[in-house]
Amino acid sequence: MKFVVAIASIALAAGLVGCNSTAAPEAKETAAPTPGGKLTGALEVQAFQGGYGIDFYQASAKEFEKQHPDLKITVEGGPRVWESLTPRFANGNPPDLTFPGWGMKHWDLAEEDQLVDLGPALDGKAAEGDGTWRESFDPQILALGQLKGVQYTLPYYVMIYGWWYDPEVFKKNGWTVPKTYSELLTLSDKIKKKGMAPITFQGKYPYYMIDGMLLPWVQSIGGIDAVNAAQNLEEGAWNSPAMVQATERIVELKKKGFFQEGATSMSHTEAQQEFVQGKAAMVPCGSWLFSEMKKTMPATAKMEYFLPPFIDGGKGDPTAVLIGIEPWMVPTEAKNKEAAIELFKYMTSLSVAKKFVQEKGTLMAIKGSDDGELPDVLKAPSKTLRESKAVYSVQFRHWYPTLSTELENGLTSLLNGQLTAQQFCDRAEAAADKVRKDPNITKHKV
Amino acid sequence: MRHSKGRGAFIVAFLSPAVLLYAVFLVWPLLQSFQMSMYRWRGVSRNRKFIGMENFQNLSQDPVFWKSLQNTGMLLVLAGVVTIGLGVLLAHLTDGAGPVRKFARAIYLFPQVISLVAVALIWQFQLNPKYGLVTDMLFRVGLPVRDPGIVRDPRYAFGAIAVAFVWHALGFFVLLFSAGLKQISEEIKEASALDGSEGWHRFRHVTWPLLWSVKRTAITYLLIHILTVFALVFVMTEGGPDRGTETIVSYLYEQIAKNGQYGYASALAVVVFAVSMLASLAVLAYFRKDPTAAAGARA
Repeated sequence: MKFVVAIASIALAAGLVGCNSTAAPEAKETAAPTPGGKLTGALEVQAFQGGYGIDFYQASAKEFEKQHPDLKITVEGGPRVWESLTPRFANGNPPDLTFPGWGMKHWDLAEEDQLVDLGPALDGKAAEGDGTWRESFDPQILALGQLKGVQYTLPYYVMIYGWWYDPEVFKKNGWTVPKTYSELLTLSDKIKKKGMAPITFQGKYPYYMIDGMLLPWVQSIGGIDAVNAAQNLEEGAWNSPAMVQATERIVELKKKGFFQEGATSMSHTEAQQEFVQGKAAMVPCGSWLFSEMKKTMPATAKMEYFLPPFIDGGKGDPTAVLIGIEPWMVPTEAKNKEAAIELFKYMTSLSVAKKFVQEKGTLMAIKGSDDGELPDVLKAPSKTLRESKAVYSVQFRHWYPTLSTELENGLTSLLNGQLTAQQFCDRAEAAADKVRKDPNITKHKV
Repeated sequence: MRHSKGRGAFIVAFLSPAVLLYAVFLVWPLLQSFQMSMYRWRGVSRNRKFIGMENFQNLSQDPVFWKSLQNTGMLLVLAGVVTIGLGVLLAHLTDGAGPVRKFARAIYLFPQVISLVAVALIWQFQLNPKYGLVTDMLFRVGLPVRDPGIVRDPRYAFGAIAVAFVWHALGFFVLLFSAGLKQISEEIKEASALDGSEGWHRFRHVTWPLLWSVKRTAITYLLIHILTVFALVFVMTEGGPDRGTETIVSYLYEQIAKNGQYGYASALAVVVFAVSMLASLAVLAYFRKDPTAAAGARA
């Protein structure tokens, strides 16, 4: 039955596209219209309903409607909204503004000429203040939405990756947050002796470990260039000495028994639940951890962010932070592009962004949105980001999904003792080489 | 003549809704899949490129495809043999009247009425390395199942999928074989008893051959069910650890959901269709002749 559903879904999408659509993409006007006119008509927004919900976007739309009474906005969404959006894009009937969520292959959309170039709109006036809209954003974060210099997507909230601990538990036991890998080893030994698991992780989804340990340690050892060389598919970057040495740290922690028993099988929520219940002392995760776990965490539990321990003597930047975004976009075939852009401009205005930070407990891509009193759980990520001399981001996962899958599969085998660090990296390099040599895969550069 | 015309219209009127639904939701998608398998298409726009048989050529050189096919075949043999074996055994044990047997038949059928996703979730909980009941029981008998945990351990993950499948499917096969056993007439049973055929001898030489048509149905059903198994794998293991439980349909899903390769996924779908058809035809060919026809028995 599932098979029938699967082929039916392919065929349905195919059917929507029609049979005679083999031609090359039509030339389309992708530049955003210049705003300024009266906003009228219907405006449809489809948004991913993740940990932060869609209620804030709905409330923002209501406020925006008050300013533009001739505009009728609908904001809808779902936890897998990309699944309904994909055939709509294919059929040329996308919404006007969308935040399609992590499952949408938005670079495919960009490459297939399905997204508006938002560059001209960014050079226009911001919703608040005298500056341009572009100046509202942190330029490094803005760059994450560009392909060959074209701004196809825009960021909203920013995710900061790192590790988490319970300050009360650490204080009670006289433990201090490990800043370096050698401190981590010493601390983990103490935690283990107390009968607690030092580190848990979301083993069912190995990318958590890739983002929380492997790449930060590659950065520690070889600098951001080593990470980006791998993302840029430079020859030998996936089995570079930095990559191998970073992988060896994971093997070492495993061999020393510092990972929680059974963590390789745990989903993200299972492992994180172990952490909030005090069965494990530390967990690598992004800044969404609190919002994801607040409903199930004991009232006494606390959580605080810290940067992944830095590898001693590495040539990387100890302040560098791994960040990520989940982008918003305006489809080329949207019927009300101008209103879509103006609504998103309003949503990214400083006052609205500050409200989002307070209500949802996350950092934003908008400059100054973390000024003032922040929720406790955001204080450390905000401070870390402000003090960081450099940021970097995992982009290869969306660019080259086959490489990402191979890396995740290899990591599971590494943790199961079936691969050595060198074999794991060689396998990653072979997967990268396959992508490198495939002329049908568009190559990206960080 | 008029009567015959009216009868024809009557038949067409009643058949057409079903035929229409079948054509729209099964035949048309199937034909579209065949068409799509010859295109490179990311599924996000109208842009697609005809590439002939390239997807199939790539598939033939794709080690993950062969691994998933091998896993599907192994599941067919392992879970298939166990399901049919246990199905026949339990059908025998619960054959006949009495409240206990009736109750037992209902119990066996219970997992069959649960959705496969729910079955997968139940087993996911049972196999959880920290609080899973099955994990705990196996650990107590000395098996090292707590790390990395059954569903991520290459020694156990495949077996876990097979067990969950058998648990889900068994009830249906017990029911199927129970119905088959009931069709064997009392005269034949009495005649074989008079000839001194009892127990295993009677099962092997009388009952088993008489279950001919039930076996054909059971094997065909199993083939289709296992070749398209998806939810169990997707929820319990996601095809892991390291492709250890990847099946052909879970790989197909990966091509759509993760890689956005709709043409390649369609090529996989065509292969699943072809394998299902060929295997079903092979089963029908193997069972084409009723071995009991000469004896005039019903089965």
